[in-house]
Amino acid sequence: MCRHVCPVGHVTRRETLTPHGWGLTIASVQRGLLVWNQDTLSVLYSCADCGTCRAHCVTDQALPDAIAATRAEVAAQNLAPAAVYEVHKALQEWSNPYEKQVPEIVKGQAEIALFVGDDAKYLWPAALESALKLLETVGVKPVLIGVGRSNGYLASSLGFPETAKMLVQTTLNELKASGARRMLVLTPGDHYVFDRFLNERLEGEWPQGVELQEVVSLLDEKFTADLLKFKSSDDKRPYAYIDPTHSLRIPARYDAPRRLLAGVMSTAGRELFWRKERAHPCGNGALQFTNPHISDHLTYARLADAQEAGAQIIVTEDPGCLSHLNRHAGRFGLHIQGLYELLADHLL
Amino acid sequence: MENNLFLTEMIRSELSEIVGPDFVSVEESDKFIYSTDWAWMPQMWLDRGMQLRPPDYIVHPGSAEEISEILEVANKYRIPVIPWGGGSGTQGGALPIFGGILIDMKRMDKIITIDEKSLTVTAQAGIIIAQLEWALNEKGFMLPHYAASSNCATLGGALAPRGTGTLSTKYGKAEDMVLSMQIVLPTGEIIRTPPVPKHAAGPDWFRLFLGAEGNFGIITEATMQLDYLPEARLMRAVLFDDLDKALEVGRLIMTHRLNPLVIRLYDRESTSSQVKKVLGYEYDGAYMVLGFDGDPEIAALQEKKALVYCQQLGGRDLGRDPGEAWWEHRYDFYYPPKSLKLPWMYGTTETVTTFDKIANLYWAEKKAVEEGFADWNVKFIAHFSHWFHWGVMVYSRFIIEEPPQDAQEALRLHNRVWNAAMQAVIANGGMINEHHGVGLKLSRYMRKQYGEAWPLLLKIKKTIDPNGIMNPGKTGFGF
Repeated sequence: MCRHVCPVGHVTRRETLTPHGWGLTIASVQRGLLVWNQDTLSVLYSCADCGTCRAHCVTDQALPDAIAATRAEVAAQNLAPAAVYEVHKALQEWSNPYEKQVPEIVKGQAEIALFVGDDAKYLWPAALESALKLLETVGVKPVLIGVGRSNGYLASSLGFPETAKMLVQTTLNELKASGARRMLVLTPGDHYVFDRFLNERLEGEWPQGVELQEVVSLLDEKFTADLLKFKSSDDKRPYAYIDPTHSLRIPARYDAPRRLLAGVMSTAGRELFWRKERAHPCGNGALQFTNPHISDHLTYARLADAQEAGAQIIVTEDPGCLSHLNRHAGRFGLHIQGLYELLADHLL
Repeated sequence: MENNLFLTEMIRSELSEIVGPDFVSVEESDKFIYSTDWAWMPQMWLDRGMQLRPPDYIVHPGSAEEISEILEVANKYRIPVIPWGGGSGTQGGALPIFGGILIDMKRMDKIITIDEKSLTVTAQAGIIIAQLEWALNEKGFMLPHYAASSNCATLGGALAPRGTGTLSTKYGKAEDMVLSMQIVLPTGEIIRTPPVPKHAAGPDWFRLFLGAEGNFGIITEATMQLDYLPEARLMRAVLFDDLDKALEVGRLIMTHRLNPLVIRLYDRESTSSQVKKVLGYEYDGAYMVLGFDGDPEIAALQEKKALVYCQQLGGRDLGRDPGEAWWEHRYDFYYPPKSLKLPWMYGTTETVTTFDKIANLYWAEKKAVEEGFADWNVKFIAHFSHWFHWGVMVYSRFIIEEPPQDAQEALRLHNRVWNAAMQAVIANGGMINEHHGVGLKLSRYMRKQYGEAWPLLLKIKKTIDPNGIMNPGKTGFGF
């Protein structure tokens, strides 16, 4: 049982919107006890597909994959909610759900590539600018790939695995064309997509001999080796780091952003209750399109958690998270700060 | 109410005015999901494509006052009320078998206060136990109720059926940890039990609500005793050829002032099936896990003394690794794919009795089930998991791997096996249940269990719940 960690179950308190509820709903449709209708489809598309349940399952049951597979069946039968097809159409035409722009094609070659994605391009571009400035400081000038392109997770989450494969493969083709032997990513969500999701859900393979690394991880290595230095921030307000959506799929990454922040901030960081291995999503992902009401409540819950911890500033690096948190931060009297921007602003 | 849409809507409006329209649901999907708990019977029923009776309303109150008002409505219209925590019960105790208003407690999930001097926590009953434990751990405390269902079950759900956890041998059952409670009575009064459980100020009425499974009211808040997180936990395993000797070792440990955290003793069949399946060890015999916690020196000394008893009665020390492996995977026994699961038929016919009777009780129950249902190739497995100064519970289970496909036939067979097991239990001095509760499944045995005392319980029920609205059909009580 994973009720205790499911973020949607946590904010809605509905038994139906828990791993148990989703599993039973799907099984009951298969048994003929329920049918797909507006009510049950709303249930199906209320899962955040965040993987928190699986991360805490004592026996590693892949329920999120089962939900995604069921959504694929439903979508193929033209039963999914209208928003699902609208977003899918945008992903097919523009490779992103936000703007009617096709991704920029990679130019040039380099040893290191940086996957930009759609959230960084359209929702919080300051993260990318600052990340590039930080990378330049440590002698890394990556070629940018996937600029404005979804990493593929959204398509899979909505029930379109073929579109997800197309998006991922296009990025991999760009990566190959760049000649890079290492691909950096801005978020743990991107890391998860190319590291595990690609294989587990899309049956794809990451190119051999190419290393995958988060920018945060690289910066932390340099910082720890004293190759990256920061000046202390004058801001004495209490802050809290929010582990971005999908963080808990990568347990080894919890400490790196915290170390970097400790190198800048002059006060000790507060910790949210829902942190690290139990970090809840920020409201980004497919839910923002299929069930914006629940998506908003996930965001409120994160903000309330930070407020409860006594933080006045919330720091994170994921552009999608930053965008969602920023929309509602005012209600909680909180300031949202991008991690990359903070670090870049305090370079020595 | 099914055929009276007009009244259904009128009542829905009343409920919405109490808790807010966002917290009343009549959605088909919600009704369906809330129609089952984790008992084998309803799970099998659904698995076979049969419908269960759903609740008419699912309500999420935010306070005891709102619950009081809901119960006023229920009394007015004579509507059954079913309290719901995590829905993780295995006895059908939360099944809305007559429809009615299902009250999901999980909006009431706040920690009210942690008293670091008295080592107590007061929390609302709808908090999920695992989340409460995380919050306590951050302050260096624990609520030592470590049940396999803690990821799902709520605080109220642990108290209502008198639940227990892995650490009960040392720290007690949930009922041993509760100091006081706030309860909404079936007639709507909100009461508080005395602030401490041990006193001499009159009869111990506070315990009336423990084990009532919602029949005497709804627990809305509880103050629980805490402990500091232990400095050390020492686990190891011992193997016995003779189960009776292993039982005697357990008795010696419990009665000679040693204070084990856990004694988990698997009979031969459980060792060769469950222990092998979950932990990968292939042992022939009765596998015992022994655990001690607290001050490292004291824990080590107690462990050493316990091992002497083990060795004196033929136990072979398997060392730390098997014990630690058990601790690491102690819940894996109850989760897929390692747990018992459909389409098998299974039941946990657990019971408890005093040391002088336990061996006979175990063998009698085993015989009754194995001989009575040999035609179905029934398997009987057991472990002894919750030990007391005076006795021990046996977590006995039956498994039929190829039950009837027809749902009604399957249910009939299931109930017959339970009947055989419970008859053997009662005839040999056991209780019909030690920690899962009575629910719907064992409701029919309550009269026999309590004999001449049963009418007293019926009178109490009638007085507390004059309209019989609270969880009817459960724990032996009707309307």
